[in-house]
Formats: sequence, structure tokens, C-alpha cells
Amino acid sequence: MIDRVPVVKMCNIKKNFGGVQALKGVDLVLHHNEILGLVGDNAAGKSTLMKILSGAYIPDEGEIFIEGKKINMASSRDAHHYGIEMLYQDLALANNLDVVANVFMGREKMNFKIGDIGILDEHYMERETERLLDRLKIDLASVRLKVESLSGGQRQAIAIARATAFNARVTIMDEPTAALSVAAIKKVLDLVKELKKQGNSIIIISHRIEDIYQVSDRMIVLRQGRKVCDTRVTGDIDTFREHVVAYIIGARDDYA
Amino acid sequence: MPLINNPEETALIKSANKILQENIREWGMYIALLVIIIIFTITTKGVFLSSRNISNLINQTGYIAVLAIGMTLVIIISHIDLSVGYLSGFLGAVAATAMEFWHWSAPLSIALIFALGILAGFLTGFLVGQMKIPAFVATLAGWLGYRGALQLVTMHRGTIVITNNFFNAIGNGYIPDLSFIPDVGFLRGIHKLTFLLGILVIIFYILSEINRRNRMLYHNFKVSPIHLFIVKLVLMSALIGVITWILSGYRGLSWTAVTVIVVVLFYHFIMNRTNLGRHIYAVGGNPEAAQLTGISVKRITYTVFCSMGILAALSGILYASRFKSATTTAGTLFELDAVAAAFVGGASPSGGIGKISGSIVGAFVMMSLTSGMNLMGIDISYQYVVRALVLVAAVVFDVATRNKKEEIT
Ligand SMILES: Nc1ncnc2c1ncn2[C@@H]1O[C@H](COP(=O)(O)OP(=O)(O)OP(=O)(O)O)[C@@H](O)[C@H]1O
Ligand SMILES: [Mg+2]
Repeated sequence: MIDRVPVVKMCNIKKNFGGVQALKGVDLVLHHNEILGLVGDNAAGKSTLMKILSGAYIPDEGEIFIEGKKINMASSRDAHHYGIEMLYQDLALANNLDVVANVFMGREKMNFKIGDIGILDEHYMERETERLLDRLKIDLASVRLKVESLSGGQRQAIAIARATAFNARVTIMDEPTAALSVAAIKKVLDLVKELKKQGNSIIIISHRIEDIYQVSDRMIVLRQGRKVCDTRVTGDIDTFREHVVAYIIGARDDYA
Repeated sequence: MPLINNPEETALIKSANKILQENIREWGMYIALLVIIIIFTITTKGVFLSSRNISNLINQTGYIAVLAIGMTLVIIISHIDLSVGYLSGFLGAVAATAMEFWHWSAPLSIALIFALGILAGFLTGFLVGQMKIPAFVATLAGWLGYRGALQLVTMHRGTIVITNNFFNAIGNGYIPDLSFIPDVGFLRGIHKLTFLLGILVIIFYILSEINRRNRMLYHNFKVSPIHLFIVKLVLMSALIGVITWILSGYRGLSWTAVTVIVVVLFYHFIMNRTNLGRHIYAVGGNPEAAQLTGISVKRITYTVFCSMGILAALSGILYASRFKSATTTAGTLFELDAVAAAFVGGASPSGGIGKISGSIVGAFVMMSLTSGMNLMGIDISYQYVVRALVLVAAVVFDVATRNKKEEIT
């Protein structure tokens, strides 16, 4: 597995926001069919790094390779093109639209097209949305409900459904379990494992180390815009957590 | 019945309440229109409802209605366009100049101002979408600029009289009648084609409402009880029937009305059935999310302002041809009527929400007010105050019904 070309390789990524150095030169490798956990304190730069991979931000410096090929990621469209999907931490849903419209936002299925504009295939999108929500075992009264009328957990499920709707090569999940009940968290983690079985490569950000421990093969810790730890997920949960937390809070800092 | 304690069921009840609230919002504007019509019919001793006046009212509403449609899209993406009134006046004057002084044909002149309308929309799109200047400021500059341009074009003569018959027919002509249907029975003196079209519209309306209800049932939405639904169908059909009867009793359907109907159907289709419409709503609801899912907010902004520019040109054509002339004051305050029409029609000042059908009703509310108050001979100063009150009432009503929704949530 390791000897193959990694599906994603990010080298020396730097990003500043005004005076804030959010990323100070981060490397990241994601292997084929691997689940990579990404942890770190608030403002460590996790979301920023992933938004660079999903085309939402342009890095100030650094290179990105997909399947060993250097690419220029300039927009979400580019990321979609390379099969990279992201679930955003703030969910990125439009409250004024219904569930179906949100799941397919920006990538509506169309019956008939002239140039970029086409007639929506509502029937297909409805059925597909129902199928995706079924897979997450989310029960909605209707996929035609407006998102503003849904609960936090339901909204999160919609965002997960969208991130997993397009058979991505790489799925990034930024805090997929944040607003969820214990039962719902289990469903999401099961889905992550299921996606891996289907051949997907996944990056998952979470503040819940036990989530990462349960599903991930490897884990990276970011601290103040730097990578401070890159380790396989091994050992029992308590030792593992202790090990990781030491890096998160900066008690240990020995990354080469 | 079990207690409502699972989240899905609560969500369903919430959404049912929401639908009810939304319907109150929608019914509100029909009720407002009805009240206005009844009041003016009484105060003018029936003149307001005469075939002649209704026909005029429709032609008058035309040039505001097309602006209101464009404005609805602009408001949906959380912007505003204050420049379109004078833009419409200016483009009308350019068309008049082209026909009268350059001796261009009507179609060529019309093509010219459509092109200029797109250009103007592109300019606004550039300032708002590219340079990120607040639309209010950018289009206020447009308001000034087009006003100046209008005065420059009409400076020499004050008023440019348009002599092109084809052009003038757009604002004054009526569709031809079917001459092969005999003029007998209740059809005596009736415009048969208009009558026939009215009946077709009623049939189409009933079928599409039934279709819509079935779809809502399929999606487990709470729908109004069947008898209420039938009452609604009967009332709306009666309304269309009355309008048809009134119009067929005069000269039938005007070309202006035909133009507005085509524009309404086109925009309704775009907004509800195509990805473009979906993207416009998405940008209005959450621009960051839209951008992240691959929608270009910039492109949508350009598109919406260009559509506004085209409709401003159309409004200019309808107005200039109706009065067979271009004047220095053409287009004055049109933008405010268009904005008011959109708000009365249910567009939300915070973006993301608005319907083409609503804005058309809104346009009729605003123009009925003007027409009725003119018939009553009310002084123009009071007219402004009344229109201001209606605008405020619409937005207050909107905010109030929305807050109520939030209380339920
Ligand atoms: N769009 C932005 N504009 C300005 N500063 C930003 C922006 N996005 C992130 N930052 C800054 O970059 C730093 C890293 O933020 P980031 O969101 O990547 O942290 P995070 O690791 O995801 O934290 P959390 O666990 O709280 O989500 C923070 O200091 C943040 O304020
Ligand atoms: Mg984050």
C-alpha cells in the first residue's frame, strides 16, 4: 500500500490571512484507501488546510499532487473534477432551499441542456437524495422540506449526504460528528468505514479523539499552523489519547 | 395519538405551520389587491372596473411589471437596482432618437437598446460582482448617470414624438380577433380570441394546481383541506374569468399584456425549472455555500444584472410606445414602484426569497393604487404618501409573518 503513489500529497503549504499565519509550511500525505485523522486545537489550521485541498482557498505557497501529478487547485470546481469532496464545518447549506436542492447544489442533474443551462431532473434528484439519506439511516418526513426547518443533526446529515453523493475519490469531513447524538455518531462512523470498503480515501477532522481512533489508519496533529505529529493509529485508546493530546497542547514537540 | 416527541414529527408539524404562514403571506397580497379593487370600484362608482379602465390599467402595469420581475431576481440575490427607472427612460429616448432622427427601423432600434440594456447590466454587474461595491451605491450612481443621459438625449426638443406605427402598436395595439367565429348570442361584440385564451388559461390553471397538490401529497406535505382547495380554485378561476370577460368586452388582449405574459412565463420557467434559477436562489440563500459547491457567484451576479438591463430596455419600449414619445421625465420613480411591487409580492429584503408570480400581483397592487387615485382625482402629493404607506405595510407584514414563523421554530 505504502509503496504506491499516494492519492494526495501536499507539500510545504503556507497560508496567511492578513497578519495571521494560519499555515506555516505543512506537508500531508494521504494513501489510497486510507482513513486519515486530522486533529489539533482550535485555530490550529485544520479547516484551512482542508479548504486548500478542496479548492476553497488558494495557498500562498506550496504544491499539491493528486496521484503523483502536480495540479493547480483554483476552485471547488477543480476539486470536484479531481474527485475531491468536502463536508464543511459550517455545513454550507442554503436555508431557503429544500433538501434535494441542497444535496445537488451546484451539480444539479439535468434532463436537457443548452450550454450550461438545463432543465432540472427533479425526479432523479429526489430519488437519489432519498437513497443517500437512507444509507445514513436518516428519516426525514420529506426530502422537499426546506433546510431551515430541520434540526442541527438533520442538517449535518444533509451535508454528509452531499459530500458522499458524487462517488468521490477523496472525501474530506470537517467535524462530521459535531452536532450529533451518540447514536447518530455511530451511523456516521459506520458510513466512513463503509466508504473505505468501497475504495474511498478519507480525511476526517474531529475534536473527539475516540472517533478518530475508531476509524482512522493514521493520524496527523496540527499545532499553530505546523504539523507536530504523524503517526499510525495503534495501541489502546487511553495510551493513544494521552500520546496525541501531548502533541495537541504542545507538551511534546519533537517532530522532525 | 402519541405525543409529538420525535424530531421528524416535530419537523413535519413545524413545516406544516410554516406552509400555513407562507400561505398567509401569499393570501395577504391577493386580499390587499381585492380590497384595493373593491374600494376604488365603490369610490369611482364602478368606473374603476370598467373594461376601458382595466384595459388601461393592464397596459400601464406592463412597464412596471417587467421591471418588477427583473428586480425580484436582483432582490433574491440580496442586491437592489435603483438605476433602472432612468435607464428605462434613457433607453426609450435612444430608441426614439434612432427611429426619428437616424431613420432606423423599429426592430433595429429595439435591438440597439436591448444591447445597451445588456451593456448597462454588465456595468452594474462589474461594479457589484467584481469590484464588490454595494449595489445601493453603484446603482445610485447609475440613477444619476442615466438621468443625465436621458436629459442629454431629449435636450434639444424636450419631447421626441415617435411616428413609427409598428413601434407604437406595442404599447397601444391589441391582438387581432378570430373573424371566422360568428358574432352571435353572448359572443356579440366580444373579442373571441381573448375569450378563448381566457378559457384555456382557466383550464391550464386548474390542471396545474391539481398537479401541484398531488405532488405535495406525494411528498407528505400538509395541504389545505380539499374543500378549501376547491374554494381557492373556484375563486381564482372566477377572477381570471372576470378579467377575461372585461377585456373581451373592450378591445381584447393588448400586445403589452401579451409581452408581459411571455416574460412572466419565461422567468417563471427559468426560476423554477432550470439550474440557473436554482443557482440564483442558492446565491441569495447562502453565497459562501453556493461558491463552495461550485456555483460562480460572480457569474450569477452578472447574469441577474444583465437580465435587469434587458427588462429595463423592454420597460422603456413599452413606456415610450404607449405614449408615442420620449420625454425628459420618462422612467421617473419606476425603480421604486418595481422595488415596492417585489416586496408587496413577497420578496424578502434579506434575500433568497421571492416569486415571479408574487411580483406581478405586487405590480398590480401598486398600479391599481395609482390608477384608482388618479380616477378619484387625489392630489399627487397624497398619492406618494399612500404608496409609501403600502410599501411599509408590505415589509412590516412580511417581517411580522416571518417572526411568527421563528417563534414556532
Ligand atoms: N477566512 C479567513 N479569514 C481570516 N482568518 C482566517 C480565515 N480562515 C481561518 N482564519 C484563521 O486561520 C487560523 C486557522 O483557522 P482554522 O479554521 O483553519 O482552524 P481549525 O484548526 O479548523 O480550528 P477549529 O477546530 O476551531 O475549527 C485561525 O487563526 C483563523 O482565525
Ligand atoms: Mg475548523
